[in-house]
Amino acid sequence: MFGSSGSRVLNVINISYIQSRSKRVWVRKPLGSPMAKSKIFRITPKPVLPEDEKAEIKRLFDNYKNSMKSIRHYFFEQSLKQAESGEVAQMKHRLEDQEHERLMEENRLENEKTAMLREERLKIQAEKTQQNVLASLIKKEGEAKLHEIQIEDFLTKQMSTPFIQAENIEKAIEDALANPVNFNFALDLNGYVYRGKDTSIDTIPEEKRERLNSN
Amino acid sequence: MIIMASALPTFTKIGKVIRLNRHGCTNRPFYHIVVQKTKDNQDGPVIEQVGSFDAMPNNKNEKLVALNFERIQYWLSQGAKLSDPVAQLLGLSGFLPNHPRTIIQAWKNRREPPRERKIEAIKGIAPPLDNPKL
Repeated sequence: MFGSSGSRVLNVINISYIQSRSKRVWVRKPLGSPMAKSKIFRITPKPVLPEDEKAEIKRLFDNYKNSMKSIRHYFFEQSLKQAESGEVAQMKHRLEDQEHERLMEENRLENEKTAMLREERLKIQAEKTQQNVLASLIKKEGEAKLHEIQIEDFLTKQMSTPFIQAENIEKAIEDALANPVNFNFALDLNGYVYRGKDTSIDTIPEEKRERLNSN
Repeated sequence: MIIMASALPTFTKIGKVIRLNRHGCTNRPFYHIVVQKTKDNQDGPVIEQVGSFDAMPNNKNEKLVALNFERIQYWLSQGAKLSDPVAQLLGLSGFLPNHPRTIIQAWKNRREPPRERKIEAIKGIAPPLDNPKL
């Protein structure tokens, strides 16, 4: 009655996707439907068991569950051991070892290659640095020599300038007093210089005018 | 965009179970002892068949049971549950300890004889079979 309820399928619990035409699919009683008349006043007899029987049953089940738990655990451990030591595992280990060896060999070859290249590179670099160092040393030497020469020139120049020593001081003073230097001058827009503080332009004729040369 | 909770895929682990699958014909059950996912139907997809159980006694008044203990041990190690009848059969075979139900049924049978069945159990020994291989 509940299985073939037209096209609408209500409250189907277990639908098998592989259609089985031989079996009738179980559909539960619709939720809104009332209780059957034969079942309204039904009181199901509750099965009464004596206490000792209940205790015995509980004991049996507890023991059984305990042993089942331990058995399952034992099987699990066995499966782990088998996985480690079984044929498949051994073969896997062997293949892994072979693979490891192969890769290590490859790595070694690669390392050797790169080592060779590195050696060459380092050699060339060493040469270069050696040359550089030599060149810089030579340069430094040259510079040092130049520097020395410059120092000598400078010293000679300094020595040759007429410094006023303790012996020359009186003579220098007399010379200075005898020859006073006048720093005053004036400039023309045309570029002529008129030296002296009190010179006037009219006194100097045109030919004797000095031209300002900027040096 | 509103996504309903039922529209999202659930990734809960569905456990495996070793139980009886009813095959055979009307009034003649024959069970396959089978490893299945819990949510699958009895006639649905099966992971592996691991034995059989013929509920109808044969000529020699035997109910024949076949069990592949190696595979059962494997599936138990992988966390498969057992249904009660299968557990009882395994207990009777000696692979697992006896299920409490067998013991309870035994003392109930001793207390009062079992109820009348429509099909009578065959009593006595039948003549030997011709096939020497069996």
